[in-house]
Amino acid sequence: MSDNFGLIAVVVFAYLAATLAVGLAAGRRASKSVQGYVAGDRDFGLLVMYFITGASVFSAFAFLGGPGWAYSRGTAAFYILSYGALGMAPWYALGPKAAALGRRFGFVTQAQLLTGRFPSKGLSALMAVLTLAAFVPYVTIQIRGAGIVIEAVTDGRIPLWAGAALAYSVVMVYVLASGVSAVGWTNTFQGVFMLAIAWTLGLYLPQKLYGGTGAMFSQILEARPELLALPGLDAAGNPWSWGAYSTSILVSAVGFTMLPHLFMKAFTARDDRTIRRTVVLFPTFQLFLIPVFLIGFAGVMFPEAPDRPDFVLPFLILRTDLPALVVGLFCAGALSASMSTGDALLHAGASVVVEDGVQPFRPLSDKARRVLMRILVVAVGATAYGFALNESSSLVELLLASYGIVCQFMPSMLAAMYWRRATTAGVASGLIAGAVTAVFFFLNPGLKPLGLHEGVLGLLVHVPVLLAVSLAGKPQDEDHVESFVRV
Amino acid sequence: MPYPAWRRVAWCCHVLFAVAVTWPGQALVNAPAPFVLGLPRQMAWVAAWIVASLLVMWRLDAARSRDARRESAPTRAEADVG
Repeated sequence: MSDNFGLIAVVVFAYLAATLAVGLAAGRRASKSVQGYVAGDRDFGLLVMYFITGASVFSAFAFLGGPGWAYSRGTAAFYILSYGALGMAPWYALGPKAAALGRRFGFVTQAQLLTGRFPSKGLSALMAVLTLAAFVPYVTIQIRGAGIVIEAVTDGRIPLWAGAALAYSVVMVYVLASGVSAVGWTNTFQGVFMLAIAWTLGLYLPQKLYGGTGAMFSQILEARPELLALPGLDAAGNPWSWGAYSTSILVSAVGFTMLPHLFMKAFTARDDRTIRRTVVLFPTFQLFLIPVFLIGFAGVMFPEAPDRPDFVLPFLILRTDLPALVVGLFCAGALSASMSTGDALLHAGASVVVEDGVQPFRPLSDKARRVLMRILVVAVGATAYGFALNESSSLVELLLASYGIVCQFMPSMLAAMYWRRATTAGVASGLIAGAVTAVFFFLNPGLKPLGLHEGVLGLLVHVPVLLAVSLAGKPQDEDHVESFVRV
Repeated sequence: MPYPAWRRVAWCCHVLFAVAVTWPGQALVNAPAPFVLGLPRQMAWVAAWIVASLLVMWRLDAARSRDARRESAPTRAEADVG
């Protein structure tokens, strides 16, 4: 490795420099307003929208955690493959409607749409808090993923803290300078890169180690049949339950539809046709996860084992005598997965806190909001970086819990856009009841019936509360309701 | 087939998709062999549903665009008057 370190470092630095250049160049076109910084002047075309939604699938979790799951938990990893297309399909109807409401009322965040229909400062603050609570562990995992990759491929010469700091310094610079325009165009650049790397390695490693994917799975079936029987294994290596597997797919699909940083991209699209075509093409991105899983399965019969399942991808790369150039390109691909998700989260987190957590209580000028967003990008990034250096398994659990919270946004958003009889009290009480239930079962997993995901249990409480409280209250003004429902 | 019909097809397709990749649908397709294109059958099953989703959404969008063009195009009588 010592002979190759120089070449690997050159490839990684060239990639980081190219990403920075793309990010900074992207910001030149956007206006210097909050709408330009947060919603890209509502001018993203199909190419950028395709990759910006794809980047939400190809995160560090998918690029490192996906192979890790396939390697250690077998077919349990297929839940990651299953939910994306299911979660994106409702966007064909929801996306253009949200975009139309955004154009009509000037919304740039999910909570603005919700509190536009259900006026409540408390509801706005609640959405901001829940969004931030969901984002911090998510960003943390992206930052840590970047550090892990750089540390692994440089054989520890660049430690995790320095690698993570290096990669996210670049992210900070282009997000601060160019806002969502940088997120969009760097995601496009990074998307092409990581897809090429994923397919190349996903086909190459099974071929080199086993003579092909069929031969690889035949060997696994013979030696470790439990890895190829659904619903796979849990983290302790025991059989996972069908209840947990199935509800993980359903909660992830609903949570995916409602991910705030994804939802906000409805406000960035140039037109409704762009949103619809993005939805149509999205399943192609989901199929790109297949080679990522093949890489994980390739590690099952490998004579040596990585320290942790999440390390299986860099572990195999470094032990299969690949040329240094390819190792460097792999490193850049994995960094792309981490950075393309992390930048969107940092940008969206800061935007949500300012627009939903501050602006309703203390109105600020356009310029002051942009300054505050930039400060918060740094603050959220620094907080997540601090967590990334002291990572423990509880962070991953926190991430799963955050999906349980995010999926509680679904009934509220559907009520805002489609249900005439919904009221502010109904939506607020449903959201609180659902989130509290999800958190309760997350903290008391032994009480979960059939191993069901806490997000589903939260929804089972949320929806009846939303319906009952809304129907018991006074209906909203008819004209106000029609301006949201009839779009 | 008009757009509203394709919309119903898309709904049905994704409900079936959700059932097919969770319990009990996926439990019925739980044998890894025979492999499909070198992949375990369960993995190929999920991939097939993703492709089905892609095709249905593509047809839905094509039907929507076609119907929208028809609605916006002037009728023959209007065009003659014009």
